[in-house]
Amino acid sequence: MNYYLLFAIIAISSLVVKGLFLCFIPLRKVTPFFEKILRYIPPAALAALVVPSLVYSKGSAGIAISFPRILAGTIAFLVALKSRNIFVTIVSGMILLWIFSFAIHF
Amino acid sequence: MTNSKKEFLRGGRAITPILIGIMPFSVVFGYAMKNAGLTGIQSSFFALSLLAGASQLAAVQLYAAHTPAFIIIVTALVINLRYAMYSLSLQPILKQRSFVKRLFAAFIMSDQSYAFTMSEGENNPGNRFLPSFFLGASLVLYCSWQAGIFLGYNLGTIIPERLSLDFAIPLVFMSLLIPHLKGRDRQISALAGAVAAVILVPRFPLQSGLLISIFIGIGSGMAYRTFQETWMRDNR
Repeated sequence: MNYYLLFAIIAISSLVVKGLFLCFIPLRKVTPFFEKILRYIPPAALAALVVPSLVYSKGSAGIAISFPRILAGTIAFLVALKSRNIFVTIVSGMILLWIFSFAIHF
Repeated sequence: MTNSKKEFLRGGRAITPILIGIMPFSVVFGYAMKNAGLTGIQSSFFALSLLAGASQLAAVQLYAAHTPAFIIIVTALVINLRYAMYSLSLQPILKQRSFVKRLFAAFIMSDQSYAFTMSEGENNPGNRFLPSFFLGASLVLYCSWQAGIFLGYNLGTIIPERLSLDFAIPLVFMSLLIPHLKGRDRQISALAGAVAAVILVPRFPLQSGLLISIFIGIGSGMAYRTFQETWMRDNR
């Protein structure tokens, strides 16, 4: 699909979601079921986005399990839990990955 | 200075401390777009046309992996569903505004400007200029978000690939995940989503594994919650 068309569809449909009850559906309340679903989207979606990228690396030979990534990711997760700071998490995770990648090829 | 101008500036000032936290996110997003092979104009188009960072970063990642359009769109929408809840609670604050203004409010709304506006409303229940406060906070965030993307995109042109900076993307999502891990039910939901993704993402065609894993995570959280509620009722 054409790049601009695809990203225009994402932008417009997301805008409809962002303004769903503010502009389009004048509902005052949503059903408890819908509320329940919404409670679990952030943890489920973010965890599903995070973990595969911490386990696999994409190389010329396709997808492979990467031990430096698993190690660096696990420690970075503990750092994130403790620090609750995105900058500290990124910097420590990157440095750990470089150290472990270097060590494995040493 | 009118009260509404004052509140606009107050909102903008209120949100500045968290810009330090937003900046790395936007820089990584800009970098990811460069890495996905998007041109400057394509990146600017996507950055300016929507403010929904997590879904956009995920969409760019999927786009780079040659995922079919409809899977990218559905994944982005699922991640963005939380905004529908925000729009529900912003309703009473913005109910006297025109449709166009409300649509604009939806456009520049972010997790952060929403949270700051709601807590301002809690702290000062009599504040009639909450919409101005919201506008100020949202615009400051939107502008600094764009600046960070610009920076990240241009960094992407000079950073060599062997530094594996793509690893910064899961680190961003990880930081966003932490605040959502409160409560055993949500931890179960995250764990199920994570385990499913590790198993399904490399095995399912067309990157559909991610979307399926998200649904498995949501379903597990709901199932645990239902189990918990039933169990507690039976043991009272």
